[in-house]
Amino acid sequence: MKKQALLLLCSTLFFGCKKDLAPMSGCTDNTAVNYSANTITDDGSCIFFSTTPFIIETPSGFPDMNIPTNNPMTVEGVALGNKLFHDKILSGDGMQACASCHLQSAAFSDTNQFSTGIDGFIGDRNASTIINAGWNNSNFWDGRSITLEDQAHDPVVNPIEMNDNWPNVENKLNANSEYVQLFKQAFNIDYIDSNHVVMAIAQFERTLISANSKFDKYLRGETQLTASELAGYAIFNSEKGDCFHCHGTQMFMDNLFHNNGLDPEPFTDLGLAKVTGNSLDNGKFKTPTLRNIEASAPYMHDGRFSTLEEVVEHYNSGGVYSLTVDPLMKKLGVGLQLTNQEKQDLVAFLKTLTDTHFLDGN
Amino acid sequence: MKRIFVIFTTISLVFTACEKEEEIIEGCTDTGAVNYNTNATNDNGSCKYNLSLNFTHTVDGNALETDQMIYSNAASQNYSVQTLRYLLSDITLHSANGNSTLLDEVHFITISDPSTFNLDIQDLNSPNYTAISFTMGLDSLKNITDNYLNESFFPSFSWPDFMGGGYHYMQLEGDYTTAFQGYATHTGGTDGIDFSFTKNFPISLNIANANTTVTINMEINNWYSNPNIINLTTDGIMDNANKQALLQANGIADVFSVFYPIN
Repeated sequence: MKKQALLLLCSTLFFGCKKDLAPMSGCTDNTAVNYSANTITDDGSCIFFSTTPFIIETPSGFPDMNIPTNNPMTVEGVALGNKLFHDKILSGDGMQACASCHLQSAAFSDTNQFSTGIDGFIGDRNASTIINAGWNNSNFWDGRSITLEDQAHDPVVNPIEMNDNWPNVENKLNANSEYVQLFKQAFNIDYIDSNHVVMAIAQFERTLISANSKFDKYLRGETQLTASELAGYAIFNSEKGDCFHCHGTQMFMDNLFHNNGLDPEPFTDLGLAKVTGNSLDNGKFKTPTLRNIEASAPYMHDGRFSTLEEVVEHYNSGGVYSLTVDPLMKKLGVGLQLTNQEKQDLVAFLKTLTDTHFLDGN
Repeated sequence: MKRIFVIFTTISLVFTACEKEEEIIEGCTDTGAVNYNTNATNDNGSCKYNLSLNFTHTVDGNALETDQMIYSNAASQNYSVQTLRYLLSDITLHSANGNSTLLDEVHFITISDPSTFNLDIQDLNSPNYTAISFTMGLDSLKNITDNYLNESFFPSFSWPDFMGGGYHYMQLEGDYTTAFQGYATHTGGTDGIDFSFTKNFPISLNIANANTTVTINMEINNWYSNPNIINLTTDGIMDNANKQALLQANGIADVFSVFYPIN
């Protein structure tokens, strides 16, 4: 092997001398960042593109995260995504970042019922949380984006949100030498395009993992729940409360869509049916995780409830009939019939899902 | 060494061919096998066969129609079917010599995804089978929380640890009596009791034909009729071991049937 290399080197040298091409030395490896096509001899100066893998630690009771093979997690990509997520450069007037409506302290949701875009337009759905989103089978309340990459394309150009356009965003980023360098380091690209912007943001979002709440510590035997919290846990996971069918497991969501009996027909927001065109999907919305639910008010796809007590009361009352209401919600006119104490217990349990480290960003 | 061997083999082959006129070619000689070799003169036992399993659902013998209040059970309740999801495990073919071939450890079927109605099995070693068996749900060795985190039926099929843990065997849901009442026939292990059951169907199956399909049918109405007449109710039954036992008995009786082509 060494002999072969030597032979190759010799012949190259010879060839080089004969043709008298300059410069003599540099980086000859075309996979290197500083590859020079005119160089004849390699002087060991090649610098190769390299990233540091970002290792996702799968929390207990979670499946493997489904990470697109064309967007592997890297430390450089995550850091870049974090910067982009918080940078107002992605909006039309430079006044809004993703983080403007996805506040970390609110579990990356908006404390307002509806978010206000740069031009003062007001949306019609409550901003989704970003909690363990790497395990989502789809994104948005209506599930219209399968991947987080696809999802991130939308708000930047949505006229009632950040209201920019991608060519303009690309121009702004390419004119920014810091971003040019960061994208080079993360993706080895010389021109920043929208696909790599959303790839970086998606990488960052996949790191927003919450699995260290009081409840998690209880499961790990590190802390105790109060009598009220335990009673709520039991109601949650029994047929009495029947919360677990949609908000079960340690993910506290089922990755499915349901009509939970909020409204009679006709619906002002068709939800999933807007995407599928199937009337049997009318009024169905993606089940949100209940992790950090205490911090992510207001609640429901349209933020109609401002307290957890109101949410529990909705299920306790049984909800409203419509054609597509989930069979599990059909105790219409009967409801769960929880006592006041049981309702308090349920809310107490829900508050054990608060992960202060996640909300503080520590 | 290699070269010598190759030369030796070539010489001996040429020599043999000259001497015998008709050479022996080893391979699969069964025309119904997927790897049938037209040139083979001697069957070397390498034949492979394919089989498709098809999962069908009926009510009173007719193909299931979802979301319509058109069915009536043995308790004279009208009902519709909106959701049907279930697990069949240890789907196994049995041969006359006592051998068994595991086709799938766990198969999840949901009427919202017709691709789950089919299970294509490739490269089976034998064309003849005398029985097919499967377990409705998961037996106690399999039915353990977190055993199937990466399967498509997680997290929606999980059964809370509070009620024994593991997974639902089946979620059969819809409306009954009026469109204002929902039922949820959710079966599974309850209070530490294993309610899964295994069905074994004797068959006389020869799959030495392309596109052989064996059908496993679930007759939905029979969950509620024989030997136990079961009333649909809005109350959840996951914590009701008595009801789970009644459903298990009905399931064993005549919910499942198997159809296969007779040669």
